[in-house]
Amino acid sequence: MSPAYSNYLHVSLDTMPRIARLRAAQIKQKPQVCIERAYYVTRYLKELADPSEPIQIRYARAVNFFLSHKRPLFFDDNLLAGTTTSKPFGAPVYPELTGMTIWPELDTISTREKNPLQLSSAEADELNFNIFPYWMDKNILEVTRRKHPDLQGLTLMEKFVFFIATKAGTISHTIPDYRIALARGLDDLIASAAAQEEHLIRTGTASEQDAQKLAFWRAVQIALTGIIAYAQHLSAKAMELADRTTDKQRKEHYLTLAHICRKVPAGPAETFREAVNALWILQVAIHAENINMAMSPGRLDQVLYPYYRRDKDRGLLSDMEAAEIISCLWLKLNDNTNLVPETAEELFGGAGTVPAVTVGGINEAGEDAVNELTYLMLRVTELLKLRDPSLNARYHYEKNTPAYLERVAAVVASTKSVPAFHNDVADIRTLENQGIEPADARDYAVIGCVEIGVPGKTYDASSAIMFNLVSALELALYNGRRPVTGDDLMSIETGDPATFTHFNEFWEAFKGQVRWLLGKAIELNEAFGRVHQEVFPTPLLSAFFDGPLQNGQDLIFGGARYNASGTTHIGFADTVDSLNAIEKGVFIDRICTFKDLLAALKADFAGFAKLHAWLVSKAPKYGTDDPIAVKNSQNLVRFLYDFYQSHINYRGGRYKPAYWTMTNHAGQGKLSGALPNGRKANKVFASGITPVSQAARDLSACLRAVGKLDGLCIPMGEALNLKYPSCDTPEDIQKFAQAIEAYFRGGGLHVQFNILSYEMLLDAKKHPENYPELLVRVSGYSAYFKDLNNAMKDEIITRTEYDLRRGKSNPFPASDEKLLWYK
Amino acid sequence: MGNFFYSEFFKNMRIQDLATEWSDATRSELAEGFLQLLLKLMSLAFKLNIKGYKANIEHFTGRYVFRSKDNAITASASFENGRMKVYDHVIDRPDVTIIFRHDRALMDYLLSPRPDILGSVLRQDVEVRGNLNYLYKFAFMAKRLQLMATGAI
Repeated sequence: MSPAYSNYLHVSLDTMPRIARLRAAQIKQKPQVCIERAYYVTRYLKELADPSEPIQIRYARAVNFFLSHKRPLFFDDNLLAGTTTSKPFGAPVYPELTGMTIWPELDTISTREKNPLQLSSAEADELNFNIFPYWMDKNILEVTRRKHPDLQGLTLMEKFVFFIATKAGTISHTIPDYRIALARGLDDLIASAAAQEEHLIRTGTASEQDAQKLAFWRAVQIALTGIIAYAQHLSAKAMELADRTTDKQRKEHYLTLAHICRKVPAGPAETFREAVNALWILQVAIHAENINMAMSPGRLDQVLYPYYRRDKDRGLLSDMEAAEIISCLWLKLNDNTNLVPETAEELFGGAGTVPAVTVGGINEAGEDAVNELTYLMLRVTELLKLRDPSLNARYHYEKNTPAYLERVAAVVASTKSVPAFHNDVADIRTLENQGIEPADARDYAVIGCVEIGVPGKTYDASSAIMFNLVSALELALYNGRRPVTGDDLMSIETGDPATFTHFNEFWEAFKGQVRWLLGKAIELNEAFGRVHQEVFPTPLLSAFFDGPLQNGQDLIFGGARYNASGTTHIGFADTVDSLNAIEKGVFIDRICTFKDLLAALKADFAGFAKLHAWLVSKAPKYGTDDPIAVKNSQNLVRFLYDFYQSHINYRGGRYKPAYWTMTNHAGQGKLSGALPNGRKANKVFASGITPVSQAARDLSACLRAVGKLDGLCIPMGEALNLKYPSCDTPEDIQKFAQAIEAYFRGGGLHVQFNILSYEMLLDAKKHPENYPELLVRVSGYSAYFKDLNNAMKDEIITRTEYDLRRGKSNPFPASDEKLLWYK
Repeated sequence: MGNFFYSEFFKNMRIQDLATEWSDATRSELAEGFLQLLLKLMSLAFKLNIKGYKANIEHFTGRYVFRSKDNAITASASFENGRMKVYDHVIDRPDVTIIFRHDRALMDYLLSPRPDILGSVLRQDVEVRGNLNYLYKFAFMAKRLQLMATGAI
């Protein structure tokens, strides 16, 4: 613990009965589909919109119409007003994005086997008869298909296995900056937009560009006015509830909420509670326009600290009150979930909405930024153990104290999974390498899973493309074909590997397939991006970024100060290990011919036991010091970086690679054939940038291998997932912290943990009823273990378990070896 | 087969026969004739407006083509002015075309309690060309018909 600050250990759920009660209710809450937003946005656009108005204004009016009609609801005695949906735990429908994928399930979604969502028959009818029909030809995917009927990338994406271009479903994965809105209030932002509009009307040239700017500034005013209307309705409702109750405490509770919502976010926040509630209302409002996926509130220990400090200094805020308010925010951030069709549960099952909160690290001036709120947020996370927010702790090994690092490690040991650790030194260097000013880079925060951006300054769209590296490897192995689809040519012919005489020929073939596929994926992302510009601009979100308001340019037109598109990769370790196996087994040691290897793969190694044993146990493995594995992993990272950086997106930013996988490595693994590293068909891939399970036996070597990957080539972040069976004693915590310190000094960007043993996880799979609240770290976010699909559960179970004291892996239980990738 | 068709439309021998045939087809390994029966049953359910089923196609215009990979099976359906027309050939200007390897693959794709959509697409057992939202709507109508037929709703 830092000597300067309280670590809030005196705060507990026993001292916060309200929070204990709200948490218990939250855990039990069943998700429900919420159609409120879809209803109002559709109704406005269908019945009330003026088609002669520019689309920015029309869409802003639709958002305003929804926010002005959004029901002010108070489901419980949370200290913060505002709800993301009209349900206590709601999944909003975005029909203009991917909401219509649940259409076939409207009659069965409430009873489906995996992660059912309650939907009343009246609401299902509203979707079926009124809302979905309006959007049949108008959602992003179908507008893109109509405009680009020959877009090959779309056909490839719809085969599921190569890549997903997520922009059909989301403008998200970014970090708005609420600081200005909190300090000045929305009335002031609206006035600024109005002043800009008036100034241009007086001085402009009536050009197309000026017309766009005028429409944007007008749209911002309309959208922000909707937020104020919602807050005022919350205030009026709270007042009504105060009038209705005779209970003195409840009356006081509602009167306070009425006062807060009357004042903020329209006006500046003055107290800590006002700032937190204003921030929450803004977070709710952003989802009126944009989907609830990885819209991250950023560095909350920095954003909220001035309000906290002021109240503390004036004696207006006790530790307990502060802890209650932050706990209420954490609970509120859990009030919504994704709407996912059953098929997608196979790929993404169990994911939350991943609003990432970042704490710690250094400030814009380069000094230690850890403060009391950092420790308070860590303590609240430790106490609540909720799926969201996804907490991320920045650590600067030259500026932050060892005590802070140990406190974060202790919280991980306590929660078993959060927060994740981010290396300030490496992250800031990689951001600066992307042209971001040093002060901005130092203010970075985490977007969604592990990606890094600067709140309110970078618009990253960090999950624009999710690319399956293994699919490119398979295309290279089969000369542009896939075993599952026989002779159909899926991409380009890069040669029959059986004719190759040197590993480099295969490496070139593989790179050829990657280039071809990624070219199609980028082309598709660009098309989606331009369709978004035409049909769904984002004036509301833009208002919380530096640049758009000044320039009159929407975020999705490139209005942010820095722009980028993020691409993440699935199957990194399996691909590297397969390259290693081919290089060593076919071309160096000549264990087999390429023809034999292909025959073994097609047979899923049946009849090739000896070869299989060699591939599993003798071929070089990423996560060790083997020079072939080190070379291939580094070459792959470098190749991908160079490829992306040569591509500029439709907003003028570069493409940036990342290595995090959510649950895609499990889903995509189930869709893939046997691989040269000895992985059998349909087994899960390794997660993120993590070595293949059980392949890296020595913890130090593993951390060295990952840390040696050039962080400058991974500008959008990486997810290294490690597992310890226990971390109980102060000595364990110290060792835990030391390992992180060493990894970060070796260049690693990120690491996250599950403090869970093989045995416990196996038991949790067999007896989910005994583990209703077991939280696990997936590959960039947290999930309740029971909500994950079986493939994902198996992947987490089989992740290498390291004994922290020995620094070596523990043997996997022989009774469950069938779960392993080579069995 | 569930109780709905038998109870409310017991006297309608045609729909009873169709429902029984369809039920048999969905239970059989090959699901032979599944598509034609589905389209016939759907068409009849619209005509009889069972449980307000017709509301699904009021104000809806859509054109669907279904064909097997070997072109041995071809069928189309069009919806206009609250009516459904079924054809035994490919119609022009479809909003969506569904190409399937065999009846069973199509049935698994549309109706299974645990639809193997990923597997169907990966094996190229089913390929969809055109606007997916039309497919989603059709899948909803087919699923509702199945639930009505089995008495689930």
